[in-house]
Amino acid sequence: MRIGLISFLLLVITFVSCTDVNRCYDSVDTLMISSFSVSGFKNITSMRIKGLNHNDVGGILFTDSTSSLTKRAPLPLSLSADSTGFIFTVNGKIDTLFVRHKMIISFISEYCGFAPAYTLSGYRRSKGIDSVRITDAKVNSQSIVKTTNDQNIKIYFNSATH
Amino acid sequence: MTKILRSILIALLISSSPALAKTKGEVWRYEGPRIGIDISRFLLPVMTTANRTGWELQADIPYKGNLFPTFETGMQWFDDKHDAFQYKNSGAYGRLGVDMSIVKFESLKDHDFMFVGFRYGYAIFNQQTDSIKSSNYWGSRITSLDRHPMSAHWGELVFGMKGELLPNFFFGWSLRAKFPLVVTNDQNIKPYIIPGLGKTGNGTPFDFSITVSYRFPIFKTKTIPKPISIGGAKHPGLNEDTDPNSQDFGGSGGGGGYNRGR
Repeated sequence: MRIGLISFLLLVITFVSCTDVNRCYDSVDTLMISSFSVSGFKNITSMRIKGLNHNDVGGILFTDSTSSLTKRAPLPLSLSADSTGFIFTVNGKIDTLFVRHKMIISFISEYCGFAPAYTLSGYRRSKGIDSVRITDAKVNSQSIVKTTNDQNIKIYFNSATH
Repeated sequence: MTKILRSILIALLISSSPALAKTKGEVWRYEGPRIGIDISRFLLPVMTTANRTGWELQADIPYKGNLFPTFETGMQWFDDKHDAFQYKNSGAYGRLGVDMSIVKFESLKDHDFMFVGFRYGYAIFNQQTDSIKSSNYWGSRITSLDRHPMSAHWGELVFGMKGELLPNFFFGWSLRAKFPLVVTNDQNIKPYIIPGLGKTGNGTPFDFSITVSYRFPIFKTKTIPKPISIGGAKHPGLNEDTDPNSQDFGGSGGGGGYNRGR
């Protein structure tokens, strides 16, 4: 019994000591998954997205010159303001979209830390954007794993001006 | 204060003396409440990367020889500093439960046992997070989450051993599987460590304890506790145990072979 006491104790300490895994396996990037189309099934032949007031070369968030009916881009939202502005250049025409949101800091895990989590609450668009649909208002670190046909926001550009 | 501690120590040593047990040449089985300290709590600072300190006291009392209603209480302080945040959490906890010996005591002097048991645990604690650093395309931000009062309820399954290494002094360990039941909701952060419960991150938290305890030998008996039989009806025709030493141990009605005091 005494030998059992000591040997099992050592086994228990070894087991418990080995169970602490200190790696981050979760996503901590919070990105708003956005899809883009031009009304009337017109192709998007070129597209570039920048953040408002980010005019330097490094300010380009997304660029694509292949022709397709829809484009899809993950976009970061502001950490400090309650709205984020984007400049879209689609088929050579420039448009602006402001997305309003509320943000909280949300815990992911001990080893990954925190990530912002947003709730989209509205938008303001320029005239070249036909319509905007918020399909999933919750933007968090899991949004990045959305499937191809799923997104947080859908933006339709006006076919007459694009 | 020193005099009080010295008196307690002398009283413990005198009461532990096997010489007393052999008064009049009789052999008795001594039982009584046991109070101990979990020394594994003092190993935590060297076993974890975070600054985790605490203490835990444990107490049990025998019931019918094989059952040990148990109370455990303690406090924990946790300070975990990462590059991107600093999480602090501190609080107190208590656990109530029962251990059941699953081995047969071999003699009146044998108090070594292996046990299984369960606990209900409750903790009240505070948590706060400082220096949370976030950055993305739009810039950087450092925020804090204010101190937030929390509570938690959980259940535990316990398996372990205890042995009497010196008269009335016990050494033991237990391995525990813990099952969080209810934890106060905090929209920003679910606590990843809870006083008394441990880490909550991945699946079922496991924990262990290493206990050194002292038994106050205030009851004596000549009865060796019978192993607890679980389930199964008695078959007519089978002889009942007629051993005069097989009286109930501390049960209702005062317990036949049970004497108080030494």
